[in-house]
Amino acid sequence: MDIEKFEEWSMDYLSGNMDIETRKLFDRFLKDHPEYQDKLKEFDNTWGVLNELEAPETSLAMDDAFYEMLSDTIKKEQVNTAKSGWFENLISQFMALIKPQMAYGMLLLLAGVGLGYFFNSTDSNTTTVAEINTNVENSADEASLVREKLVLTLLEQPSAKKRLEGVNEANKLKNVEEKVIQALLKTLNNDANVNVRLAAIASLTQFVEHPQVREGLVKSITQQESPIVQITLANLMEILQEKKSVEPFKELLKTQKLDTTVKQKIEHSIKAII
Amino acid sequence: MQALTDNALMLQVKSGQLDKLGLLYERYKKQLFGFFYHMNSNAALSEDLVQNVFVRIMKYRHTFTGDGSFAAWLFRMARNVSYDHFRKHGSLNKRADLDEINYKLSDSESFESEGDKQDQIKQLQWALNKLSPEKKEIIILSKYRELKFKEIGEILNCSEGAAKVKAHRAIQDLRKMFLQQKK
Repeated sequence: MDIEKFEEWSMDYLSGNMDIETRKLFDRFLKDHPEYQDKLKEFDNTWGVLNELEAPETSLAMDDAFYEMLSDTIKKEQVNTAKSGWFENLISQFMALIKPQMAYGMLLLLAGVGLGYFFNSTDSNTTTVAEINTNVENSADEASLVREKLVLTLLEQPSAKKRLEGVNEANKLKNVEEKVIQALLKTLNNDANVNVRLAAIASLTQFVEHPQVREGLVKSITQQESPIVQITLANLMEILQEKKSVEPFKELLKTQKLDTTVKQKIEHSIKAII
Repeated sequence: MQALTDNALMLQVKSGQLDKLGLLYERYKKQLFGFFYHMNSNAALSEDLVQNVFVRIMKYRHTFTGDGSFAAWLFRMARNVSYDHFRKHGSLNKRADLDEINYKLSDSESFESEGDKQDQIKQLQWALNKLSPEKKEIIILSKYRELKFKEIGEILNCSEGAAKVKAHRAIQDLRKMFLQQKK
């Protein structure tokens, strides 16, 4: 055996990528050449010690920087797409002209692929429906995780436009996690921009089946000073028939500075809820 | 099924579904960070370089063909980002030179023995930093990034066998450096 072969096999052996047949050959070779056994031992020690080196954890700032870059790029692309809309219209008109021919071609192609798959599939490479479902679920979980991170990053941005984008991204979530709910409630209670706060209410409305959301919305009533936000919350509580909101609304009615229209609206809502 | 693979995701990014890059980022951020960190021993810089890689992916997404593995394409880009950075800002081994000045070893028996773990890690990092960037890189790619040698071959533009031989020789040099430093 030449030295290069030994080096290749050593790497396969240590990285755990050696197949059974090669392993047998390698073992026999080592048995016949004790000097190579020593070399492998030395090498194995060095390889083992390399396990001790670790990298620190990445920071949240790295995630923030990435998701901000991603969000900016998506935005720019959307603007570019809108600008090139006239060209796409032209293309779509052209496509409409050749559509029947294309449809026929696609039909033939699909039939060919289908037949090919049917004749080539064997038991060994057939993936079960359960496996596919599991993988699709995993993929959906992964996508949801990424969107959550995007939401959390955007909600922390100094620009109101970015925070609005964050709320819009939250609307796309099918299942909402506690930290996203907390971030939306924090936005509702503390955001300096009324539009962002209103958007947060609209987003939270989708998740009212979560007790934490309903509770958060109720608690938020006394923290709001903007008439439009107060009226929106009153409307929502009326629709939800949330009895727990009555007390906070009564509390709000005691406020001196309360706008007259808001006062009337709240009184109406309280009656509707009771 | 196909939608789950790295290559399929990158092709979706290429076709305009840019949000899919978030999935690839989550899958590879630690590996990429680890690659840079072991190359330059600087966490803040490594995070910046990870960001640069993804900015570059976005910029050059049209060049991804899906023929080879996504990991190989990604790490090829990471190498370029790293080389570009150090071409502009100085040697990749500057850190190793600094380490040499500041580093004081405490006693430990031998490379094979159970010595002070922290000392051993410092010694190893020192030895790793003394290697040429090419040798250091192949050790990091093969040991820490858990890439297959076929992928490493794609990254380094050589055959799978040649990648294994290079890795083996780099580790031998690391050992020599390590033992030399202990004398």
